[in-house]
Amino acid sequence: MIVRTSLTGPFPRSEALVQATRDLDRGRTTREAVDGLFDAAEGDIVRLEDRLGVDAVTGGYLRWADLFRPFSQTWSGFTVGSEVTRWFETNTFYRQPILHAPPDRVPGAIARHLPAAARAHGAARAKVILPGPYTFAGLLDNRSGETVEALTHRLGRLLADEVRELRGLGYATFQFQEPLLVVRPPEGPAAESVVAAYRSLGTALEGAVSIVWTFFGDARPAFPLLGRLAVGVIGCDLTETDAETLPALPAGRGLGLGCIDPRTTFVEDPGDVARIVRAVNDRLRPASIWLGPGAPLDLLPWEPATRKVHLLASARAALAGPGGAA
Amino acid sequence: MTRPLYPTQEIGSLAKPSWQLKGQRGEPLDERARAEFSEWNDRLGFAAKDDPALRAFLGDASREVGAATVRDWGALFGLKFFETAGLDRVYDGEARRVEMYEYPIRQMHGFQFQGHVRSFDNKYYLKAAVTGEIRLDRPYHLEEFDFVRTHAAGEPKLPITGPYTLADWTYNEYYLARHPGWKTRAVRRSAQREFVVELARRALRPTLQALIARGCRVIQIDEPAAGTHPDEADLVVEGFNAATEGLDAEFSMHICFSDYRTLFPALLEAKRCRQWAWEFANRDIEGRDGYEILHVLREYGDTRDVGLGVLDVHRDEVETPPKVAERIGRAAKILGDPGRIWVNPDCGLRTRRLGIAYAKLTNMVEGARLARVEQDGRS
Repeated sequence: MIVRTSLTGPFPRSEALVQATRDLDRGRTTREAVDGLFDAAEGDIVRLEDRLGVDAVTGGYLRWADLFRPFSQTWSGFTVGSEVTRWFETNTFYRQPILHAPPDRVPGAIARHLPAAARAHGAARAKVILPGPYTFAGLLDNRSGETVEALTHRLGRLLADEVRELRGLGYATFQFQEPLLVVRPPEGPAAESVVAAYRSLGTALEGAVSIVWTFFGDARPAFPLLGRLAVGVIGCDLTETDAETLPALPAGRGLGLGCIDPRTTFVEDPGDVARIVRAVNDRLRPASIWLGPGAPLDLLPWEPATRKVHLLASARAALAGPGGAA
Repeated sequence: MTRPLYPTQEIGSLAKPSWQLKGQRGEPLDERARAEFSEWNDRLGFAAKDDPALRAFLGDASREVGAATVRDWGALFGLKFFETAGLDRVYDGEARRVEMYEYPIRQMHGFQFQGHVRSFDNKYYLKAAVTGEIRLDRPYHLEEFDFVRTHAAGEPKLPITGPYTLADWTYNEYYLARHPGWKTRAVRRSAQREFVVELARRALRPTLQALIARGCRVIQIDEPAAGTHPDEADLVVEGFNAATEGLDAEFSMHICFSDYRTLFPALLEAKRCRQWAWEFANRDIEGRDGYEILHVLREYGDTRDVGLGVLDVHRDEVETPPKVAERIGRAAKILGDPGRIWVNPDCGLRTRRLGIAYAKLTNMVEGARLARVEQDGRS
């Protein structure tokens, strides 16, 4: 059994960063001072990830205001919405990207937004986390005149170009956030546009580690579609998805099991996680199993997130004990 | 006592004036804060001008007045703000409360604050986890209510955060831990239900009981989280029923910025709720009827009163009296009974500057009067 671990989204900001960013908004500190704190915090997270033995570090994506902001602020065709919109069934919000014309990427723009500490650690060992084309197309305010299906496909092509550029910088692991695929699973032409978008991405991802991570919904009904996407690993949120009845993926695919629930400070039992992983492996025989938080950890404050993330190491250790090696 | 057609009521908090914030922190008042105090005191008369403490506050000794006195002025300011604008049912603009979550949680044992969670951008909120058995330290909002009742001209309406919202904004640790093994979706739901009901029974109900014993007759239970998880609408109701069980008061439930239809039919089971106070104006934009959702009450045969949000608290644009009257008329037509309507802002006006909030409220009162005249003309 091949077991890998990594974070699956942004890490929360520390209390010091919370205070510093508040101070910045109130004019009580400088951008340079806050940037220095961000750099240090990203470095702390990379060191934490290293200690936990994760297979790809993230650096926490602390500067990203939301999943879409680096894109809506830099790519052409977008403006950033002034109102905030609820982020699924959580008490957090995002600014909806407003698309006025067919979008286009700006070379170098997204690379500049990736955590520098993770890249400094070695781009080949860093995970790039990007919005998936279906979630991106579905959650923006589309005033471009393009259908959502055409837009999904277009975003797939643009993200593929982004992947090519980032691979040129040495990045080798890419994860696409696709909560909408399980919260509002596409059907008919919409589903085909998702397959087409990932076909475009697949050509750019060849030879890289590619992951689609779903969360905030039960992934099982979407598995037939998820199995058609040209990526190596499909991740699901075990808070929403029953692992015992998880369907099989096509041969050769890896399975992501989101075993840390960021909706509670209750710390999961590594023994429970090990039992689930073994049962899934015995039944489905995926090419690999990726363990990570079920949904992004920034639904928690920094301290409990730090406490909970140790489960990645303890579950791996439990799996290495009697009954299966990781 | 008979009430007028389309009575008006407040619904939540007001922005705190800068003199109150500075005064509570013991900071000296600057010219702007002094001017703001004087301007509003001239308008509302909430503080006696010959009071030596007031003269000290506005003079060079503002730091010596003390936070308690400043809070009292803040409460009187909020109360007079609503009364002078002409509202029938008022409170103090929640002048003594920092926010609606942290204060009630701090009155209870069994909770531990965990740190800040980002809401959006650089905005955060403090969040606690329930880590032990819930025990109320002492019923809360009592002194605040006493003060308002002493100074209010009419019957005050007290707002209080509901058990579902307090639970939803808290990490559930204690009740999850009571279930062994992996926390499946069913287990999580069961643990959340236990949390909501215990919170209602152990903290909300004794507090409501104590408030009622002090003469509080009109209570608004705020459940802004009600729409966050539509499949938990039954938990909202269970919490409401457990909190109000056996209590006699005029209860209402305030929900805002939600898809109310998804909460039905579960909401119908809220036994002692006499009024739904919802936000409508924010969704009443060009090409969209924000009051259309009232049809859901007709569809289910629900005949409770409606607290009708006619002021958008997220826009500076001041609704004109005819606009307010038109909204009331539209809602009355859908409900088929104008006597069920109370008129209020969508939500707390703390999102708006005080001058804008006051202009909105006075227009709301005038709009209700116009609607009354129009209704009299029809009947």
